[in-house]
Amino acid sequence: MGRDQGAFKLDHPWPQIGWISFAVIIFVSSLLGFVVLSRYQQNDEPLDLWNAICRGLGISFDSAPSGSTQPPLRTPTTIAWTQATLDQIRAGNPQRGGFVAVNCAACHEGLAANPAHLIPTLDGMEAEVIFKQLADYRSGKRSWGVMNAIAKALSIQDSADVAAYFASRTGQLLPNTGERAPQGGRGFRQSDTGPRLAFAGDPQRGVAPCSACHGPGGYKIGAPTLSGQYPAYIERQLASFAQGIRQNDIYEQMRAIARQLTPGEMQSAAAFYGLQGRQLATKN
Amino acid sequence: MYNSRRLALYHYWVAFAVFLPAVMLGVWQMLMRSPLPAPLDDPNAYYASVTLHGTAMAYVVTTFFAMGFGYAVTATSLGRPIRGATAAWIGFAICLTGTLMAVAAILSGKASVLYTFYPPLLGSGWYYSGATLLIGGSMIWVVLMIVNMAAWKRDNPGKPVPLAMFAITATAVLWAWSASGVELEMVGVVLPRVFGLTIQMDAGLARTLFSVTLHSIVYFWLMPAYIAFYTLVPQAAGGRLYSDTMGRLTFIMFLLFATPVGIHHLFADPEIGVGFKFIQSFLTFLVALPTLLTVFSICASLEIAGRHRGGKGLLGWIPALPWDEPMILAVGLSLVMLGFGGGGGLINMSYDMNSMIHNTSWIPAHFHLIFGGAIVIMYFAIAYEMWPRITGKPLHSKRLARWQLWLWFVGMFVTTIPWHITGLMGQPRRVAIFDYSDPLLAPMAPLVVLSVIGGLILLTSAILLITILIRSQLGDTVLQAPLRYALAVNPPVKVPNALNGFALWNAILLMFMVVEYGYPIAQFFFLKSSVPAYEVTRQTTALGVR
Repeated sequence: MGRDQGAFKLDHPWPQIGWISFAVIIFVSSLLGFVVLSRYQQNDEPLDLWNAICRGLGISFDSAPSGSTQPPLRTPTTIAWTQATLDQIRAGNPQRGGFVAVNCAACHEGLAANPAHLIPTLDGMEAEVIFKQLADYRSGKRSWGVMNAIAKALSIQDSADVAAYFASRTGQLLPNTGERAPQGGRGFRQSDTGPRLAFAGDPQRGVAPCSACHGPGGYKIGAPTLSGQYPAYIERQLASFAQGIRQNDIYEQMRAIARQLTPGEMQSAAAFYGLQGRQLATKN
Repeated sequence: MYNSRRLALYHYWVAFAVFLPAVMLGVWQMLMRSPLPAPLDDPNAYYASVTLHGTAMAYVVTTFFAMGFGYAVTATSLGRPIRGATAAWIGFAICLTGTLMAVAAILSGKASVLYTFYPPLLGSGWYYSGATLLIGGSMIWVVLMIVNMAAWKRDNPGKPVPLAMFAITATAVLWAWSASGVELEMVGVVLPRVFGLTIQMDAGLARTLFSVTLHSIVYFWLMPAYIAFYTLVPQAAGGRLYSDTMGRLTFIMFLLFATPVGIHHLFADPEIGVGFKFIQSFLTFLVALPTLLTVFSICASLEIAGRHRGGKGLLGWIPALPWDEPMILAVGLSLVMLGFGGGGGLINMSYDMNSMIHNTSWIPAHFHLIFGGAIVIMYFAIAYEMWPRITGKPLHSKRLARWQLWLWFVGMFVTTIPWHITGLMGQPRRVAIFDYSDPLLAPMAPLVVLSVIGGLILLTSAILLITILIRSQLGDTVLQAPLRYALAVNPPVKVPNALNGFALWNAILLMFMVVEYGYPIAQFFFLKSSVPAYEVTRQTTALGVR
């Protein structure tokens, strides 16, 4: 089909028109794309020609390490969920932990020192959670009243023991059975804020459902079970995360979520978890 | 129609048989996204449905329609039987097999990767193999179109190829260029991972290769409509084509500007440099040339017809047109939708403005209006024009056909205008569930409900279409009406070689592709951007998760 057309004979008018148009289009668009527009950046000075062409090609000029100073690195915790850490926690002796826990009982058990419920109940809480929080208090990554001093007085083995002790007990906290919670009433269209946040979250604001990590249903290591916890305590912690007072959450997971919540939503979510524990307790 | 009759009929019927259920799926998807209750309330089913709707509409309906149309045009415009009818039937069988494989895989819920594949999402190998077969099988059609045109030129040296044949061959060549991207993606990236030859997938490379297909496939869909604009509409209006050369130039420009522009679908992809994004955005704008040339040429042809029919004054020729003819009504409605859809398209193809509407419901609104509206309504008109020729029986009812076209027109606007607006409000596309009780989303709810109503109108229209086609085919009046193409005002006696074939334009297009895509594709061999695949083959349906 092609040989008889003289497609490449540039003395014919149509090949001339075609190839000249091609050259003009490529030249003009390349000039604009690689030389003119690639130079301009949103917040910085225009680039020189060489860097502009590189940028136009996609050779990442701007992905190199930035020249400006970075804020100092701040680690939220000294705990990482390595096998060594888990082995340390598993080595906890609940009997011995019982003796250590004498220090804790005054505030964490009974209500005499805890009338406003701002101190969490620990009976039945996962050992990993208690171990991590004690480590964070010890290293100053989390601060709260007397807890920093108490944690400093405990050795790592003491922490593991007392964590094992509380984990072995049963109380108002709903045990982490790993079971999936029933499916009803778990959707975005749930009108109750508490269960909606707990089970569906709010994807528009990047709020993951609480239950994905804190149960019921889903549990992630280091995230405390919340069903049955004091609502006032949960609400206070959410507010602390939101305001950046508490910063020992790995990858800022809780700060990122809590910042998105309104005070009313924090209250509803907290109330939901408190209520859930009671409901289930009465059922049993 | 010679030996093309059965070929065309079978191809059309596959297209329309797939079309109707695919419309139903579309309506269900809109229900699913809306605040209204939807049957089978399941997000996994939604993604399976989106995949099936897209695959059916974008690959199956269009490919079969274009192939059937191509065979009919070849036989009628050249006035002789098709060469290679056996090969055509083999191609039909391959395409049908591929379709069935893909549909089965999607229905099993193991290929909910959406019709644009989205690596590193990884679905069932049956789906990719089916899609590869469907597209690969259509290459037989491409070869047959070229062979038939070349054979005719050999037998008629020095004579201009009839415009319809020239245009359908341009369509075939365009489709070959277009399909090269997706076929390379399948064979080079996806299928090796499916069959365990590779461990990871290069998503960036796959997306870049697919972008070769992604825009030109749209022009492949659109070409039958343009062929109707140039060769059938002036005839149906009782006039003549304004200019044969303009028609040839239009199809050549579509061929040139369809393929080296696909990166405008990758504006948000980090691997491609800004320079290439801009160049391809720039080239995309050049499609305004053939489009405006066509709008001018068609209006001029219609004006010739209108004045010939006694229309007077500046605009008096418009009411003088035979608006009761489905073809004329369709072209009028189509141009209105083309205007609105094209306007939206200007936003999408602009490198900077695209970010406002990227991945919002604006995008499906745009391509439904322009493809589902402006183009598909011409498919209907073509079917109404072709049906009496293929079946030998007259159209069941022109009045019903007009109703069908009007319903489609109204339905498409009622569906897509709200989508445009919710897109500007930020509603994402391809999301199954929205919480309309959220204050941010609540204002979208009435618009989304409105679009569902539009969807129901479209479904009514689709049912009407199938009814008309079946009743026409079952009718018993026998009719002999050969398909005639519009003559140009100055029928071509001799055209330059360059406007009578594609060698020059293929050479230029090859250069465009080397310049526009050479580096963006080659860079992936150095970037090492492969990532692990994300398998979607084990999804279970989970009712009532919301």
